[in-house]
Amino acid sequence: MITWLTTTNHKRIGILYMATTGVFFVIAGLLALVMRLQLAQPHETLVSPSAFNQLFTLHGTAMIFLVIAPFGFGLANYLIPLQIGAPDMAFPRLNALGVWLFILSGLVVFSGAFAAGGAAFAGWTAFAPLSGIQISTGAGEDLWIIGLLLNAIATITVAINFITTILLYRAPGMTMWRMPIFTWEMLATALMILMAFPALAAVLFELLIDRHYGGHFFDPAQGGNVVLYQHLFWFFGHPEVYVMILPYFGVVSEIIAVFSGKPIFGYVGLVLSAFAIAGLSMSVWAHHMFTTGVVANAFFSAMSFLIAVPTGVKFWNWIGTMWGGRIRLTTPMLFIIGFLLNFLIGGITGVMIASPPIDYHAEDSYFIVAHMHYVLGGGSLFAVLGAVYFWWPKMFGVKLSETLGKWNFWTMFVAFNVVFLPMHFMGLEGMPRRVYTYAATGDLPWLNLVSTIGALLMALSVMLFILNVILSSVSSMRVVAGRPRLPDDPWGGANSLEWATSCPPPEFNFEALPPIRSERPTWDLAHPEMTGG
Amino acid sequence: MPILEPASLQAEGLRGVWVIFFATAMVVAAFVYALIFYSLLRWRDRGQSEAPAQFKQNPPLEIIGVIVPLLIVIGLFYVTYTREVANDALHANPYATVDVKAFRWSWTFSYPGHSISITGTPQAPPELVLPVNKLTQINLYSSDIDHSFWIPAFLFKRDALPGFPNHFDLTPNKIGVYAGNCSEFCGLDHALMTFTVRVVPVTDFERWIARHGEPIEPRASARQNAAIVGWSSGALAPQNAALVSW
Repeated sequence: MITWLTTTNHKRIGILYMATTGVFFVIAGLLALVMRLQLAQPHETLVSPSAFNQLFTLHGTAMIFLVIAPFGFGLANYLIPLQIGAPDMAFPRLNALGVWLFILSGLVVFSGAFAAGGAAFAGWTAFAPLSGIQISTGAGEDLWIIGLLLNAIATITVAINFITTILLYRAPGMTMWRMPIFTWEMLATALMILMAFPALAAVLFELLIDRHYGGHFFDPAQGGNVVLYQHLFWFFGHPEVYVMILPYFGVVSEIIAVFSGKPIFGYVGLVLSAFAIAGLSMSVWAHHMFTTGVVANAFFSAMSFLIAVPTGVKFWNWIGTMWGGRIRLTTPMLFIIGFLLNFLIGGITGVMIASPPIDYHAEDSYFIVAHMHYVLGGGSLFAVLGAVYFWWPKMFGVKLSETLGKWNFWTMFVAFNVVFLPMHFMGLEGMPRRVYTYAATGDLPWLNLVSTIGALLMALSVMLFILNVILSSVSSMRVVAGRPRLPDDPWGGANSLEWATSCPPPEFNFEALPPIRSERPTWDLAHPEMTGG
Repeated sequence: MPILEPASLQAEGLRGVWVIFFATAMVVAAFVYALIFYSLLRWRDRGQSEAPAQFKQNPPLEIIGVIVPLLIVIGLFYVTYTREVANDALHANPYATVDVKAFRWSWTFSYPGHSISITGTPQAPPELVLPVNKLTQINLYSSDIDHSFWIPAFLFKRDALPGFPNHFDLTPNKIGVYAGNCSEFCGLDHALMTFTVRVVPVTDFERWIARHGEPIEPRASARQNAAIVGWSSGALAPQNAALVSW
């Protein structure tokens, strides 16, 4: 136990990150379930308006800052040194500081629930002056701000560590152009973090100064500027979306190649598209502000459309990887196929709302809620689950049950679409987001009821996942002695270096490194006949 | 659904963009889904003995994979840009002008020069009266924090921001009663920050102006219309016993 508290080992820190995100995911998911129950029918009174506003604020904040993004950091912490043949991260103690700051940030944000006046209720975007001291009077908002400041610092330490490790700690033979796609995507992610998160820290500090030290940055009565808040927030906020998706593009690329029995198709294109997305992500923020009437809509619209091109390249290359392969429909692969099917919808609606004439109707409606959940839930979250099933045997030396895993996938896939597909139509019918009630008109009552039923099924699916984890933990403890260890490459056909060491790997990762002569050294090792010995 | 029955001249133009984007989306989605499902069916592992060919690139195909999406988004941007410029242009000499002021959690609609000012509450949302087939200019203000003025039937919203007035044209072209709401989250009773839009014949509008904006009784025809289109009407909400929202 004490060794986990004091560890500086990247694998343990990675597992600490991922396990913490699991806990926050369950909490944030339960918050969402309460919201869906409140919205199951019009004029429901399960929770008060004030409680509902706190629910969606904490749900959004937790899923973004405490689940989807940091799971990627945890996975990368675990995988990057293994994938590049390094013994650990470049700055192990900074790494430990980062994970504990991250855990603390979550506790501080949630502690707002116990403050007088309740938790923050201004939404995860906390637009000023709504988040100002005149309206958000309680300490909940302060705890939210301080929690996210800690989170921003933790995230910046992560990015510094990733960049340094990737650039300087690669094993002999591991040139940049032989790095796995996941490592490449994390390099692009880390660069975006370094550009975007200082803006978040700045806007949070300004908000704090406004609230307690008479700053007036965002107080219109004192010459402050409410649009400045939106600019600063979204200058962080949109790259943040890609911080939450690029790691999972990496996950998809790794898993899809292994279970198609082929090398990743279009390696160079995948790498370039990651950096194209990272670059474009810095110039699209004001597409969140089309309806403000004070930004250059045409410019931000054009830049946003362009992101569809590198994203399309990724789809093209993933399909090219499956093409002519031998596709094994294991649980991780099923989740990745789920990612492709769901994320395509989120991507396409993303192109739609990048058009101001469409956004004039869709903005801040349930259409947006549907869009972002198809990207971050149907996309990122499916890749999270795929990653857990895929790398679990590497981390813990035992596979999760494939039978339960497939039940987990199918229930999750159906539930996800039952919850979120109807939300597109709610938005088109005129239902704004962040409302605790709605009128019993049109199709809204039955659409909302269907969505809530889907949410209950999704809760069941998450329980199947937890059951799977518990059963595998029990079985791994029971058979420490006597059972043959898993082979280094339990799935077969693996490409990257983490599959060329034991499950789980020794403390400093490798007893001996195989020769690295291509971007798939583990596959080369298993197929000497293909590489000319 | 408002997308299917837009109720203003501007909304008909905006709907055109929706239609083009939706059609493109369907084609792209069908193509990509077809490729994915074909791959899964054709190349699913059935215990074949021969190993799959280990190809890892196809530069001509990869270049096509860049050029085709690029051409699609260039086309979509053209559609977007032309419609956006047309929609956002302000016309001189509007038939009517309305100052809309947003506050937590309702609206004030005033008609400059006619000493008409209608202020609602969350429990009794206000009604915006507009003449049909005439251009009305809306001047949008906020007296406290960020709000957004959304009329789903017009496929349009614009933010009401303190310190940043907004101006836009509306030309409703279907008589009826439509729902409107605040779509930018603004705190406790954001959900009740609704209003209705009553689009009336020009003669009725003139009479209403002459009577200094006395509330118009809901007429049978308007109610019926609202009931048929569904989304456009407010229903009686128990907690505020007034016309509510979408």
